[in-house]
Amino acid sequence: MNAILDFAPPLVLAALGGVLSERAGVVNIGLEGMMRFGAFAAAAGAIWSGSPWVGLLCGAIAGAASAAVHALLSLRFRADQVVSGIALNLVALGLVTYLLQSVFGSSGVSPPAPSLPRDRFGHTVLAYAALVIPVLFHLWLSHTAAGLRVRAVGEHPRAAATLGVRVLSLRAWCVLGSGVLAGLGGATLSVGILGQFDSRMPAGQGFMALAAVVFGKWTPLGAAGAAFFFAAADALQRQLSFSLHAADLRLEGVFLALPYALTLLVLALGIGRTRAPAADGVPYEPEGR
Amino acid sequence: MREKLFAPARDPLWSALAAVLVSLLVSFLAIAATGRDPLAGFGNLAVGALAGPGPLGETAIKSAVLILTGLSVAIAFTVGLFNIGAEGQLIWGGLAAAVVGRLDSPVALPLALAAAALAGGGWGFIPGILKVRRGVHEVISTILLNWVAIHLVHGWLVAGPLAAAGGGASISVAGTEPISHAAWLPRFVTGSRLDLGFPLALLIAAAVWFLLTRTARGFEWRAVGAGAEAAHASGIPSGRRVCEAMALSGALAGLAGALLILGTEHKYPGVFRTGYGFDGIAVALLGGGTAAGTAVAGVFFGAIRAGATRLQLVGIHPSFAELIQGIAVLLVAAPRIFLPLWKRLRA
Repeated sequence: MNAILDFAPPLVLAALGGVLSERAGVVNIGLEGMMRFGAFAAAAGAIWSGSPWVGLLCGAIAGAASAAVHALLSLRFRADQVVSGIALNLVALGLVTYLLQSVFGSSGVSPPAPSLPRDRFGHTVLAYAALVIPVLFHLWLSHTAAGLRVRAVGEHPRAAATLGVRVLSLRAWCVLGSGVLAGLGGATLSVGILGQFDSRMPAGQGFMALAAVVFGKWTPLGAAGAAFFFAAADALQRQLSFSLHAADLRLEGVFLALPYALTLLVLALGIGRTRAPAADGVPYEPEGR
Repeated sequence: MREKLFAPARDPLWSALAAVLVSLLVSFLAIAATGRDPLAGFGNLAVGALAGPGPLGETAIKSAVLILTGLSVAIAFTVGLFNIGAEGQLIWGGLAAAVVGRLDSPVALPLALAAAALAGGGWGFIPGILKVRRGVHEVISTILLNWVAIHLVHGWLVAGPLAAAGGGASISVAGTEPISHAAWLPRFVTGSRLDLGFPLALLIAAAVWFLLTRTARGFEWRAVGAGAEAAHASGIPSGRRVCEAMALSGALAGLAGALLILGTEHKYPGVFRTGYGFDGIAVALLGGGTAAGTAVAGVFFGAIRAGATRLQLVGIHPSFAELIQGIAVLLVAAPRIFLPLWKRLRA
C-alpha cells in the first residue's frame, strides 16, 4: 500500500493532465515529453535554489511551457495533434539530454536535488495531492459552468461557439493546464521520489498515463483509479522480483506489460462503452477563415 | 482524413527543406548558446557522417533502418492510418531474427529475414484488425502494443526464457545467444560496417514506390486512405485493405529490426534502446509520405545519427540528433508557420 502511494502520484497527475486536454478536444501524446521537461526543470530548480518547492514550481512551469508549444502548433497553426505531440516527445528526449550534459556535465544523472519532506508515514505532500486532486477535478469538470464549457468544446465545439464560448482559447488553457499537471507529475519523479534527475525519466510513464486515460474512459476519477491500479501492478512486480522464485522466472516484464495489455483488451472487447470525446483530435476552424 | 497532414503545405518539398534548414539553424544556435563552438560541432557532425568508408558505412546502416521504419509509417499513411507502433513491430522483428538466426544453415539469413517480416507483420496486423472490427483508434492501440512489446521482449523473453546460458542476474544484460555466422548480413568494404542492409532498404523503397503508384492494389490502398466509405461504395473491400497495409507496414518495421540484429548486434542485446521506430514517424513525415521522399529523409536522418556520435568530441551528447529531428518534425507538422514567408516570397 505504501509503495502504491509512492508510485502513483506521477501517473495520477499526468493522467489527469491527459483527461483535461482530451476532454477539451486536444489529443495529448506529448505527456511523456512534458513529464520529462518537468522532471528535469524540477531537479535543476531545486538544486539551484536549494528548495524542493521552487523545484516543484519550475517543473510545473516547464510542463506548461512545453504544452504551450503543443497548443501553439496544434491550435494556432493547425498542426496534426498527434504529430505535434510526437515531435514534442522527440524534442524533449534530445533537448533535456543535451541540457543535462551542458548544465551538469553528465549524461546519466543530475547531482542530488533537495527532495520534498516526508511525513511520518514516509509520504510527500504529493501522495495526498494524488488522492485529493482527482476528486476536486471531478467536481470541477462535472458540476461547474467552467467544467461544462470544457466538456462542450470537446464534444461539440461548434455548438459551444454558438453559445459564446471561445473554443480555441479555452482549448489552449486546457492544454496549458494539462502541461502543468504533467510537469508536476514529472517533478514528482525527480524531487519527490528519486531525489535527482535520471536521464531515462520518465521511462514511459507518460504513455502509461495515456493508457490510464483510456482505461479510465476519459473521466478524472476513472483515470486516477486506473493510475492507482497500474501503480499497484508496478508495486506488486517489484515485490515479486524480491522473492527468489519469481526472480528466476523473470516475470517482471509480464507484469509491466499487463496495464497496456489490459487497456487494449478493454478497448477491443468494448467493455462499458469506452468512447473518446466526440471532437477529440479534430481541429477547430473558427468560422470566417 | 490523415492526408490532411501533407495538404496545408502546397509544396511538401519546400516545407520539408525549410523545416530541415530551420532545425539545423536552431540546433546551431543551441550549441552556441551553451558556450560551445557550433562550427566545430557541425564539422564533427559532417566528419562523423561522411568522411571516408567508415563513417559512410555508419550512415548507411543507420539510414537503412530509418528508411524501412519510415516506409512502414508511410504505407500506413496511404490507407489513412497512423502507425505509431513501428517500434514494437521492430522489436518483435529483431527478436524473431535473433532466434531464427541461430540456425547454422546456408539459408539462415533469408529465413531470419522472413521470420522478422512475419513477426513484425503479425504485430502490425493487430491494430489493423482492431480498427476494422472494433473501431479501436490505431494511435491508441499502437502505443499500447509498443509497450506490451517492449516489456514482454526486454523485461521477460530476452532476460528470461531466451537469455544466453550462464544464468545469474549479472548475465541478464548480455541478451540472447549469438546468431550463427551464416545469418550475418554480408559486408562489402574493409574498414566499414556497410552491409547488405542498405542496398536491401533501397530495393524495398523502390518496390514500395512501384506497389503504391503502379499497381491496382496500391491504387486501392490510396483510395481507402482518401475515403474509406467512398472506396467501399465503389467495391473496394476497405477493411481488408487496411489490414493488408498494416501487416505490410509491420513487416517492414520488423525487417528494420532484423537489419539491426543481423547486421551489427549479431544477437538480441540485453539493453536495446533503439528509438528507430519513433524516428520512422519523423522520416515519413519529412519525406511527405512518398517512397522516394522517405528514402531521402531516411538517409538525411541516418547521416545525422551517424555524425552525432562524433559530437561527443566537443562535449555534446549524441542524442542531439533527436533534438534536430524533433524540431524538424515540429516544423513539418505545422507548415502554416511558413505561410507568411511564402506569401512574402511570392509578392
